[in-house]
Amino acid sequence: MAEKNVIDPSNVSDLTPTSDYISHHLTNLTYGWCDKTESWGFAYHQQSLFPESSCKVSEMGFWAFHVDTIFMSSILGIIFFGFFGLAIRAAKKGVPGKIQNFAEYVFEFISNAVSSNFHGTSKIIGPLAFTSCVWILAWNLMDLLPVELTNFAGAAGSGFDYFKVLPTADVNAPLALALVVMFFVTYYTIANHGLGGFLKEFINPIELVGYFSKHVALALRLYGNLFAGEMIFILIGIMFGQFLMSFGQTLWFFPGLIMNLAWALFHILIIALQAYIFMMLTIAYINLACAKH
Amino acid sequence: MNVNATFFAELLAFSIFIFITYRYLWPSFSNILDSRREEISKGLEAASESQKKLEEAEDASRKMIEDAKNEASSLINQAGSRGDQIVEEAKTQAIEEQIKIKSAAEADIEQNITKAKENLKQEVSSLVLAGAAKILEKEVDAESNKQIIDDLIKEL
Repeated sequence: MAEKNVIDPSNVSDLTPTSDYISHHLTNLTYGWCDKTESWGFAYHQQSLFPESSCKVSEMGFWAFHVDTIFMSSILGIIFFGFFGLAIRAAKKGVPGKIQNFAEYVFEFISNAVSSNFHGTSKIIGPLAFTSCVWILAWNLMDLLPVELTNFAGAAGSGFDYFKVLPTADVNAPLALALVVMFFVTYYTIANHGLGGFLKEFINPIELVGYFSKHVALALRLYGNLFAGEMIFILIGIMFGQFLMSFGQTLWFFPGLIMNLAWALFHILIIALQAYIFMMLTIAYINLACAKH
Repeated sequence: MNVNATFFAELLAFSIFIFITYRYLWPSFSNILDSRREEISKGLEAASESQKKLEEAEDASRKMIEDAKNEASSLINQAGSRGDQIVEEAKTQAIEEQIKIKSAAEADIEQNITKAKENLKQEVSSLVLAGAAKILEKEVDAESNKQIIDDLIKEL
């Protein structure tokens, strides 16, 4: 993976070589266990605010946390769910206000998606669909921030030279969602068909592969789409950065701007679509688990 | 793509957000929308009810106007016939009165005529008596000549 090419923070604004630029963009701000020093700490030369360990990201094992992913996903969750909470608190009797209208529209949209695709009885499916859809959408929206934003912030002295704003492009986050979905699918299969009914599905062992791959695919579909989207933004950045370097003409700024804009406009579709697809598949899987065979 | 302990943190965060949605957001939204649905259906019901009431009131007022009109026209008719009746009665009364007056007058005239006849007879008899006395130059004894005089008067 790209961690081998972690570059020196003093060269952050240097756009060459290209592989360093890409790997810099794909490396998370990491806090983890360093075997060499037998201590916890931020990875080597990723930030300047907290004490750092002498391990690089690539030298950290499983016990490492992507601080940026955790921070961004939590903050986005607090903002978005906080918004809905405030909309409820501000809700009044009679004619609803604009914010309440919007919040209710989102709720009804998801509620309709659940009621038209789920035919069993479950109290958790609505909240599960709502949480996953809203949270993923919040994550994905971060893809529309300029890819260079946090790097410029780092160069300008924010203290964090590595910071990925897009939680979806870190496979841990989608995988965690998919695991929760898998938990509920398993729970509802057992609840509706008994443990025997659940195990009977795996008489043909190949079904076991299908069972896990279904949920891994759920995570990787989301991850892959957003990762690829991010990658294209990075490639556009590289291409026009190189032009800018090679020809030294600020004129090259404009085609880059236009291409970024075009991809961003197209990407809005993917952002919303992937959140919607994840929600719909969650509903479909749980519906299948509850369905009478 | 490296899976590490971030996974657990995300798991925890997702669980917390699902719990919040499950306990607070989802039921609140359901309540708000359910109560609004109820309110709207109540409002619609009330509207249709008042519409019905309005129609009923309109019907009632139309009926009242109709009744009043009928009554008025019947009153007018009654008044007209009563008037006719009164005129008729007055006419017959007048005719009766006229007949009565006429017959009274006729009777009066008859009486006067008989009275005048009687007077005339008396006059004539006295005149006859006076004339006869003059002719005979002597007192005529009315008593003795009564038969003759009465015959004379009868001939008159």
